[in-house]
Amino acid sequence: MTPAAPLARPPLRDSLRVQGRVLVALLLREMLTRYGRHNIGFLWLFVEPMLFTLGVAALWTAAKAYHGSNLPIVAFALTGYSSVLLWRNMPGRCIGALWSNLSLLYHRNIRVLDIYVARIALEFGGASMSFAGLSVLFIVLGWIDPPKNILEVVGGWLLIAWFGAALAITLGALSHESELVDKLWHPASYLIFPLSGSAFLVDALPAAAQKYVLYIPMVHGTEIVREGYFGSRVHAHYDLGYVLPFCLVLTFVALFTTQWVARRVVPE
Amino acid sequence: MSSTFTRPSPLFLALVVVPTVLATLYFALFASDVFVSEARFVVRSPSKAAVTSLGQVLSGSGLSGATEESNAVVEYLESRGALADADRDGLLTRAYTAGSVFLFDRFGGLLPANRERFFDYYLGKVEVEPDTTTQVLHLSVSAFDPVAARAINERLLERSEALVNRLSTRARSDALTVAESDARDAQERARTAAVRLAAYRNRAGIIDPEKEAEARLQGIAKLDDELVSARTQLQQMEAFTPAAPQIPYLRTQIDGLQKEIAQRRSGVAGGRNSLSAAAARYQVLQLDSELAAKQLAATLISLQDAHAEARRKRAYVERIAPPSLPDYPIRPRRLGGILAVLVLGLLAWGILTILLAGVREHREG
Repeated sequence: MTPAAPLARPPLRDSLRVQGRVLVALLLREMLTRYGRHNIGFLWLFVEPMLFTLGVAALWTAAKAYHGSNLPIVAFALTGYSSVLLWRNMPGRCIGALWSNLSLLYHRNIRVLDIYVARIALEFGGASMSFAGLSVLFIVLGWIDPPKNILEVVGGWLLIAWFGAALAITLGALSHESELVDKLWHPASYLIFPLSGSAFLVDALPAAAQKYVLYIPMVHGTEIVREGYFGSRVHAHYDLGYVLPFCLVLTFVALFTTQWVARRVVPE
Repeated sequence: MSSTFTRPSPLFLALVVVPTVLATLYFALFASDVFVSEARFVVRSPSKAAVTSLGQVLSGSGLSGATEESNAVVEYLESRGALADADRDGLLTRAYTAGSVFLFDRFGGLLPANRERFFDYYLGKVEVEPDTTTQVLHLSVSAFDPVAARAINERLLERSEALVNRLSTRARSDALTVAESDARDAQERARTAAVRLAAYRNRAGIIDPEKEAEARLQGIAKLDDELVSARTQLQQMEAFTPAAPQIPYLRTQIDGLQKEIAQRRSGVAGGRNSLSAAAARYQVLQLDSELAAKQLAATLISLQDAHAEARRKRAYVERIAPPSLPDYPIRPRRLGGILAVLVLGLLAWGILTILLAGVREHREG
């Protein structure tokens, strides 16, 4: 940025509006290229995660999986697996996103970050809609009770989303530089899944393990979602004083790597 | 150099400079010293046989190790009941609402005071943490005055002790009451059985029908012997000295003996008032009494077991370290607090700067 630039630059509001248009366009394009216009089209966006969650809920119900509490297993699977989908799909979508969109970077107003943000927004929307849709469906069917504190559920959900987004952008940017990220992410995501608090309550773990499990950031978000959902029936363990700085640092790293990659990227 | 570089941007001012200055002011000048009094104690309770099978480890409960009583103590200390108990004479209220405490730290300083808020505030000041490997409970209480911190800690510890005592007395008395009432029942039954047996003996005028029958049979046998010898004598006399004057005498004797024997026989067996009839009734009573005695012995043993069990079941609070009197305020961590605000501010500023720069790269035309 040259010293003279600030005088010439357009107001922030205008730039934001341009970026908003770019993001919406990218989002629509992403939806079309991914789901096409066949059969139910972009509805797959949330039908896909819904089917996943339903399947897992059914499996866990059939297996009467042990989860360390007397909570209804359907509600447990819903809160747990939806959270997993949220933080796991975002990096999955962002890794390698740049390679397939390199041609778009010819447009001056499409920036590297925009591509990631559009994909993340899409994933977030899909997972959220599936979570909300399934919740409403199960509540109407009488399988689960309505959440005790919706605001808390939303807060926990946003926390997981924030973590997922920061992780996704970091991994996405890094994956542009090294293919290893893609190769390592798949095993890693499967390994973290059982540790992410989706299949257990922290309270049910031995206290010695609780301390270590709480180093994993998504656990906190899942716990908050569960507390919001079940109220005093679960004893949630979370520490915002740990997750929030963690997410802040990760976000910083994410933006920093994106800038770094953006400077090196070569549009095709 | 342009003035843009010498003068920090408003974003930097808002996110880094202002918060850090505020934090410095707060931590350096205003924040009240917090003294932490710590106590360590163990809730001793009957040790159950430690099962360390793989299944238990997997089920997650194997490693937790905490006993019911120490869980109860933890739950109690984090309850409204503990607050109400400890604050009965206003000890906590006085300690946390003192005017000398800085407005932001004081309870009721910023928000209107009520019971619910006070409970939240209390949860922030009292921390009870079970150590799972050693099963020691750490109870730490923060207050703005070392003496108050210790007093509150001591109070909470006393209440926990009272709770554990109550639990263990209850557990013991429950088991004992059952055993005791069983023993009392058995005693009563044994006594009535014995009384009925004695009453029957009195009524029937016999101590033991078996022995009495034996004695009588012996008497009958003796009479039989006499009868036989009298008969033999009579036969001899009738054969050799038919005119002997003893013959009528012997005949009377034999008659008398036969009558006596028949009468005695009927007393032993047959007949309503015979000994054999009495023996049947007697045996029923005796069996009752024996059974009652055996039952009594059994319940007495189980009562003794219950006593032993109760002695073993006694849970109590063992103080390892009594509430300490802090001589130095370990909180707030003034430098650390300022530093944390600075670092977080810098992070937020960095993120926003990059984001805004990214936004600015979009332009019309």
